[in-house]
Amino acid sequence: MLLRILDRLEEILISVCMAVAVALIFVAVVHRFSLTVSADLVGFARAHEMPWLQDTARSTFRFINSLKLTWAQEACIYLFVWMAKFGAAYGVRLGIHVGVDILAESLQGRARKVLTTIAMSGGILFTGIITWIGTDFVWHIWKGGQISPDLEMPMWIIYLAVPLGSALMCFRFVQALYLYLTTGYIAHHDHGAVDGIEDEAEIASEGKA
Amino acid sequence: MTALIIFAILAILLVTGMPVSIALGLTVFTFLFGFTEIPMDSIALKLFTGIEKFEIMAIPFFILAGNFLTHGGVAKRMIRFATSLVGHWYGGMGMAAVMACALFAAISGSSPATVMAVGSIMIPAMVKQGYPPHFGVGSIATAGGLGILIPPSIVMVMYAVATSGMVVTGPNGEAVKSASIGTLFMAGVIPGLMLAAMLAATTWHRARKNNYPRMPRASWGERWRAFRQSVWGLMLIVIIMGGIYGGIFTPTEAAAVSAVYAFVIAVFVYKDITLREVPRVLLSSAAMSAMLLYIITNAVMFAFILTSEQIPQAMSDWIVDLGLGKIGFLLVVNLLLLGIGMVMEPSAIVLIMAPILYPVAVKLGVDPVHFGIMMVVNMEIGLCTPPVGLNLYVGSAISKLGLTQVSKAVSPWLLTALMFLIVITYIPEITLFLPRLLGMN
Amino acid sequence: QNPIIIKFSHVVAPDTPKGKGAAKFKELAEQYTDGKVKVEIYPNSQLYKDKEELEALQLGAVQMLAPSLAKFGPLGVQQFELFDLPMLFKDRDDLRKITEGEVGKTLLGMLDAKGIKGLAYWDNGFKIMTANSPVVHTDDFLGLKMRIQSSKILEAQFEALGAVPQVMAFSEVYQALQTGVVDGTENTPSNTYTQRVNEVQKYATVSNHGYIGYAVIVNKAFWDGLPEDVRTNLDKAMAESTEYANSIAEEENKTALEAMRADGATEFHDQTEEERAEWFEVLKPVHEEMADRIGADLIQQAYAELGIQ
Ligand code: NA
Ligand code: NA
Repeated sequence: MLLRILDRLEEILISVCMAVAVALIFVAVVHRFSLTVSADLVGFARAHEMPWLQDTARSTFRFINSLKLTWAQEACIYLFVWMAKFGAAYGVRLGIHVGVDILAESLQGRARKVLTTIAMSGGILFTGIITWIGTDFVWHIWKGGQISPDLEMPMWIIYLAVPLGSALMCFRFVQALYLYLTTGYIAHHDHGAVDGIEDEAEIASEGKA
Repeated sequence: MTALIIFAILAILLVTGMPVSIALGLTVFTFLFGFTEIPMDSIALKLFTGIEKFEIMAIPFFILAGNFLTHGGVAKRMIRFATSLVGHWYGGMGMAAVMACALFAAISGSSPATVMAVGSIMIPAMVKQGYPPHFGVGSIATAGGLGILIPPSIVMVMYAVATSGMVVTGPNGEAVKSASIGTLFMAGVIPGLMLAAMLAATTWHRARKNNYPRMPRASWGERWRAFRQSVWGLMLIVIIMGGIYGGIFTPTEAAAVSAVYAFVIAVFVYKDITLREVPRVLLSSAAMSAMLLYIITNAVMFAFILTSEQIPQAMSDWIVDLGLGKIGFLLVVNLLLLGIGMVMEPSAIVLIMAPILYPVAVKLGVDPVHFGIMMVVNMEIGLCTPPVGLNLYVGSAISKLGLTQVSKAVSPWLLTALMFLIVITYIPEITLFLPRLLGMN
Repeated sequence: QNPIIIKFSHVVAPDTPKGKGAAKFKELAEQYTDGKVKVEIYPNSQLYKDKEELEALQLGAVQMLAPSLAKFGPLGVQQFELFDLPMLFKDRDDLRKITEGEVGKTLLGMLDAKGIKGLAYWDNGFKIMTANSPVVHTDDFLGLKMRIQSSKILEAQFEALGAVPQVMAFSEVYQALQTGVVDGTENTPSNTYTQRVNEVQKYATVSNHGYIGYAVIVNKAFWDGLPEDVRTNLDKAMAESTEYANSIAEEENKTALEAMRADGATEFHDQTEEERAEWFEVLKPVHEEMADRIGADLIQQAYAELGIQ
């Protein structure tokens, strides 16, 4: 039950980070574009002596310009940092991380089991170390009192993604190893399975336009 | 010696089959604990800052856009159109895919993003049409490399930045101006189109040799219908190209805009997916992006170890000591970059190696622009060589094939790219023609 | 006996003023200490990037840096944003009154709390304004999209001018200026030239409206742990290399300006006294606006030294 909640939280977090980051940059682009258009309009109205248009355009410009979005890029980067760290953990559950599988593929039985166990333990070890160093690092940053340049947010909160994400990833590797040792199951994400493409590719392959 | 230890550790970890990102990271730690006095804390920094760059954010955006296009029926309509045009040729869909990569490269500065955008649409479709999976992956993973050769290109920007302001002298002691970004972009056009043509030819040749299924020729009416249905997707190219070159947004922002555009088309125009399915698309895009960003983070950390052990510098000293002429030097540079390209990520390589190799190249009379394009082509190949090759990872992710199989699958096209590299290296005119025509130096 | 190693990391090329200054310091420091100190220089962000180097210094991974003054705000010492204030310094003499006077010393002292010891100020130079339309008068900026690096002061500066500040990643600036995503930017002549911004900007005004500089800093614990005589010799080496770095910076800016004028792609305008007064009028309010961040007292102290009313 608790695990289910963790799974869902993980999924919601990374999806929301993705959605918000995209929306933010899109809005920033639209914002800048509207500013350009209204500024051009002011110029156009001035050149053609259309005072009413000039006033409307100018107040539109002022209104849009009063919304400040200079922080959007920074926010996007930090959202993606969070998405990347937690998404990597989610990826372990999915089996999305690619490796060089030549040797494992060519081995059978016990040797294969040992090799795969080593490989998965490597994941546990690495993410475990990162969790440890990351915590220490966040502690340093917290003491240092750094803030981000645009949002002026404490950097330790942003960097918290590293130890938290790694801890979760470590847990996911432990889970995966446990699952492998007990059931022999290894997650292999089927990245290629895209809904809607199957039947369509069929049509395409039959050459019907 | 140090280099040998590092690469030996990496190789051992890799063959266990652990994720490449983990192997890179563990190599760094093993080396840190066992062989050097670099403080651990300095490594921690790289973990945080490795992906803190806005340009890298184009990767998740393009992945999301690609997923919306694929899930949302834009892709299938574009496939129908491309297929109606060239599907009756040998390897027609493969050639259409190469063409799509070239087109997409003109709107994206990143190669893995190009592989993702075109591959996620074309690879499954090609499999359905009866091509073996390795055929689609091979052609698209390699053609996706065009992303950094056809402008815009993040790697070219990196090269220009890494060499700008360097005071270097030519063979006769004269001062030589470093390459500008604009000139590099222009210089990439002809080589880009040429490589696209060569890859398409390879596709055709292999399809013909293996007698892969061809499709019945579509009538002009069918083609027109296919065009009309796919126009929303084709519009994206216009919007992105127009937006970037018309000064509405930057290439990275363009990626976000195309994601939103693709979302709107998929959900509200074609209605192939419902709003309730959107979170699922977001989730799978996030997972895929995270995997790539995780590799980048660890590749940055790995590059840091190489740099702080002065390995790239030692290599370039060694080259200079060899006392090679221009021809020999360029050959060695290519071999060196291909070697490093196997294990490192392009922007890191360019940032580290360009300042080292560039002065030597200019001293030997190599044009800065030509040298830049040569480096880019090397990086392109490096993206498709194991064990660290982002195009391979993306290709593997899309095609359900393992990294080993994908690495094998790209080899015919990679061979073509290598031939192309030789041509580009020794015939600078191909690179320099267009910039000269436009009066850039 | 093993020499004391100072790792001096910076983010620019070895042949820039900062790079040459670092090389000079290495030469002098090793000479004055009779080889008791060895300085290793890591240029071009080889070890640490812009965003990482301060943390690396605090952690003791490197001993010496010369970061841009703008980096100290995010570190938690916002008083350094004083240097970003537009129209604060008329010229180099004005600047020296601050960097070599009490204000400069006070500011460097504030770094102590962060485990950092500030040694000297190195110049990059005074800024010029560039755009694709003439930027002579303040109302020329109305509606222009101007690229800035993240900074609240620079944001306020361009807002005061009626422009729209845009934060943009460095690697996208060139193309953004070329295509018109942004209309203009500001930088020192040497930066403008080496980053090739002049290739894609039609107009430039030599306005000297702002300043870009660096502070040479060391890890405080490391510095305090050095033997007295070594520190004295290093101070001497630093003073001399500071002078050297600053003279090179001035020279580079002059050369860059000449080269860009000769190039002809950009039309240069030299600001007149009246125009400067006009800019001052519009930009001075930014000082008040930002007083809460920087500290009203500090600004007043600077005014006193500079004779600003
Ligand atoms: Na491109
Ligand atoms: Na590679």
